[in-house]
Amino acid sequence: MNQKLILALQIASLGAIWILVTFVGIWILNLLQLSNDLRDVPDATLAISIIAVPVFVTIAGVLTYVFVGLQKGKRST
Amino acid sequence: MLERESTAGGTFLDRALLNPIEDTNRTFYYVVGALLLLFLVAVGMYAHQIWFGLGVTGMNQPMTWGFYIVNFVFFIGISHAGTLISAILRLSMAEWRRPITRMAEVITAIVLAIGGLHPIIDLGRPDRVMNVFTAGRLQSPLLWDVVSISAYFTASTVYLYIPLIPDIALLRDRGAKPQWLYAFLAWGWQGTPHQHKVLDRAINILMVMVIPIAVSVHTVISYIFSMTLQPGWHSTIFGPYFVVGAIFSGIGALLVVMIVFRKVFHFEAYLKEIHFAYLGNLLLLMSLLWFYFTFSEYLTGFFGHEPFEMKVFWYKFVGPYAPYFWAMVACNFFIPVVLLTFKKHHTIPKVLVSAIAVIIGMWLERLIIIVPTLANTHLADPVGIYIPSLVEWGLFLGGIVAFVLGFVLFSKFFPLISVWEIQEGRERSVKDVTERLQRYLPVHQQHA
Repeated sequence: MNQKLILALQIASLGAIWILVTFVGIWILNLLQLSNDLRDVPDATLAISIIAVPVFVTIAGVLTYVFVGLQKGKRST
Repeated sequence: MLERESTAGGTFLDRALLNPIEDTNRTFYYVVGALLLLFLVAVGMYAHQIWFGLGVTGMNQPMTWGFYIVNFVFFIGISHAGTLISAILRLSMAEWRRPITRMAEVITAIVLAIGGLHPIIDLGRPDRVMNVFTAGRLQSPLLWDVVSISAYFTASTVYLYIPLIPDIALLRDRGAKPQWLYAFLAWGWQGTPHQHKVLDRAINILMVMVIPIAVSVHTVISYIFSMTLQPGWHSTIFGPYFVVGAIFSGIGALLVVMIVFRKVFHFEAYLKEIHFAYLGNLLLLMSLLWFYFTFSEYLTGFFGHEPFEMKVFWYKFVGPYAPYFWAMVACNFFIPVVLLTFKKHHTIPKVLVSAIAVIIGMWLERLIIIVPTLANTHLADPVGIYIPSLVEWGLFLGGIVAFVLGFVLFSKFFPLISVWEIQEGRERSVKDVTERLQRYLPVHQQHA
């Protein structure tokens, strides 16, 4: 398979991780808004969001770091 | 014996680890075919349940949870085999971990996917899972579960994938098929010092990260029960009790998988008796811890003698669930303690019997936690009766089949034992351990 196509697919898969993280963020924001509108313990919802979102961001960040690091660390041929 | 292979770059010592991928025999396809067939039967049963509703299960009022939630807790518990054990062994720099970590990580990724689907199976209308996204209440322990299991699944899949990259690149360079898959997944790995540095750093970050996530997952699962005021569930030690049980069952599952695949793929040169002896010690330790928690949990309830609590207590100890309760105690405590305390001879058979006993015992524990409490409500209802239906048994077996199938398919495409970590161990371990020892041990000073 063409090397450029493989690289494009790799970048797309990495993008998919960030789309997942964005989706999680939007989902949690939606739940926060809902709990605020309903006056349904919004502070507890906020506390859980503060823990949950950074976990996903860190995972995606590690994957990005590895991908970029591996590309930079390639031998120049 | 190590299977050697002469290559252009020198001698490749670990040919045996790639045999399942490069020399797949016919038995593999028969096994996969049989497992797929069984899996399809389970899918058919689920379709039957969707069509006819939850009435085809043994669930009723007040028994609103049954096998599906038992299996959910059980499978998620097993998932602690992997990432947690692998991360702890890596973090503590236990050199004997090298042939074990990959299998442990694969178990985690597969059982998490299976376990995570069980609450959806438990819904009569699976489409209603979308309500979690549109109208969930984040202050409910059920939503904490969704968040923590999703985070754990994502983290453990990444934690499986990143240490796999050098082995994927090895397969790519050896021309393994499908070439495009290995080229895609290798992410341009060439084994340069910079790439090794990046990989090591990422593994270090992940191993520190997955430990609290794994602990949070089973703690949060315990909250589904302990946050209610139900007798037998409302307990402050449920969090750690569940975590201990999860690690316990996880080690059991890991040992069974190691012993089976060691035999099937002839990994005797890699998975040696000492690995089973060490993990056996860990299993024994967890058995004692499990007994301590179980004893504390029931003694506290008995001492309070609250009438509803006692109803559930006697239901388990001498009532209809007594056979399961005492079988659980035998499987989780007596069998492992007797066999693993004296395991100098016949280590592997003893460890295997103990591990199987622990898996059965921990499944029984999940059953004993869930069913008796639901059967004995605070209301003046008659005691509930739960008899699982054929559909529930079928889906339970389907879950086990899905696990075996997932593991077998993984072994067809990726090495079950990390090749690069074994090679790294050969090159570096002795030097590293010697240096570490010199740092630990007091220096002998010679006086003039």
